[in-house]
Amino acid sequence: MTASRRIVIVGASIAGITAAEELRAGGFDGTITLIGDETEQPYSKPPLSKAFLAGEETDDDIRLPDLDHLGIDLIVGMTAHGLDRDRRRVLLDGDDVTYDGLVIATGARAATLQDRGRNPDGLDETVLRTADDARALRSLLVGGHRLTVIGGGILGMEIASTAAAAGMEVTVIGTTTPMLAALGQYVSQLILDRAIAAGVMYTVAPEGAVLEAVGRRKRVRTADQTIESDAVVTAVGCVPNVAWLRDSGLAVSPGLIVDERCRVTSDIVAAGDVVSLQGAPRTPHWSSALAQGRAAAAALLRGDDSAPHVARPYFWTHQFDLSLKVAGERIPDHDPELLDGDLADLTALWRWSTDDRPVAAVALNRPISISRLHAHAGQA
Amino acid sequence: MPEETQSGTTVLHLNESRCEGYGFCEERAAELVRLDEDGHLHLLVDRVAPEQLDMAQKAVRSCPVAALRLESAGA
Repeated sequence: MTASRRIVIVGASIAGITAAEELRAGGFDGTITLIGDETEQPYSKPPLSKAFLAGEETDDDIRLPDLDHLGIDLIVGMTAHGLDRDRRRVLLDGDDVTYDGLVIATGARAATLQDRGRNPDGLDETVLRTADDARALRSLLVGGHRLTVIGGGILGMEIASTAAAAGMEVTVIGTTTPMLAALGQYVSQLILDRAIAAGVMYTVAPEGAVLEAVGRRKRVRTADQTIESDAVVTAVGCVPNVAWLRDSGLAVSPGLIVDERCRVTSDIVAAGDVVSLQGAPRTPHWSSALAQGRAAAAALLRGDDSAPHVARPYFWTHQFDLSLKVAGERIPDHDPELLDGDLADLTALWRWSTDDRPVAAVALNRPISISRLHAHAGQA
Repeated sequence: MPEETQSGTTVLHLNESRCEGYGFCEERAAELVRLDEDGHLHLLVDRVAPEQLDMAQKAVRSCPVAALRLESAGA
């Protein structure tokens, strides 16, 4: 693949941009065309549910540094709607673009209640995925107003935290206690306690919620209650952006499936939220996008000679008075070992082990490097 | 930016109030930044040498909270 003269990257967020950087760092001196479907310049997504949503950060604060020094053709506001693998063409609204090598980094979109048949009236749903979404949601954060958040995962809880800090009366409806699947019972309970202390109402509705119209307003119904509010936001996960690949013959469930080097085929690689590594559940996090972007670029340039991608799950969240950094596969439900810190002042370094083998580690309200946290979690 | 760096100097700035101590930048540019035991980030250089510029760009871009910035300064 070193003979490639034109590499096209579809998706101009952190995974695609990292791949672009690594292609240049790996010696590729042909044309790199980076295509993004949003009209604005590339930006960082983690602040969208936190400081950017709160209005504490501006567009400039979240902008990713420009790519001028890399000699990349950046095309924004262009959506790929198909892939013709035989002719090596990405089908765009305007001119199609041909490639010798392709990086697919189209990310994911917000899942909706409509997707799940839980929005029978077909109401517009407020979601948070893009900077535009965040700007729209920000305008709904009005002190004294009531906000209902559907979804008790990382995004729903961060939105709830930001809205509560803005003086809103917030109700969260989760199918479990907060972030249970990702963090296990021990940390989930801590988050629930801190959310309640911040004035948030938290409702567990295992069967989920339905969005309904009441006149011109929206109402949320669960098995045992009906919740009226001034605004409703849906935060029920994300769906990989693979619709444009429907006629490509590529395997796209539970995400675009890649091998251990982030390859889809010999001339197509993929990275970021769109990816399922060898059929495993997707890991839509910043750290995965960086690592996969690097691996994908290396595989496109060097094929089997590139280093296999080693997945080391890592993510973080800020909500209420908690800053959590998380390393490891899945956190068990049992109580962790406290390696350091003091829960009385809300600092901790926890480790979970299974059969005497460390499997996960979490740092609460303390800085720690990713590599040190991974070491505690038993990940070399 | 390339023209400026040839004629002037590039400086790496850390906004300590933004830094969360993740260490993505250290993974990208161990020559330029170091995270200490307590998770505080230290800049190892005042000025970025021309051959370190690509690495510095990667470090800046890897930061999810935009705590690092590159700025051109007069020579």
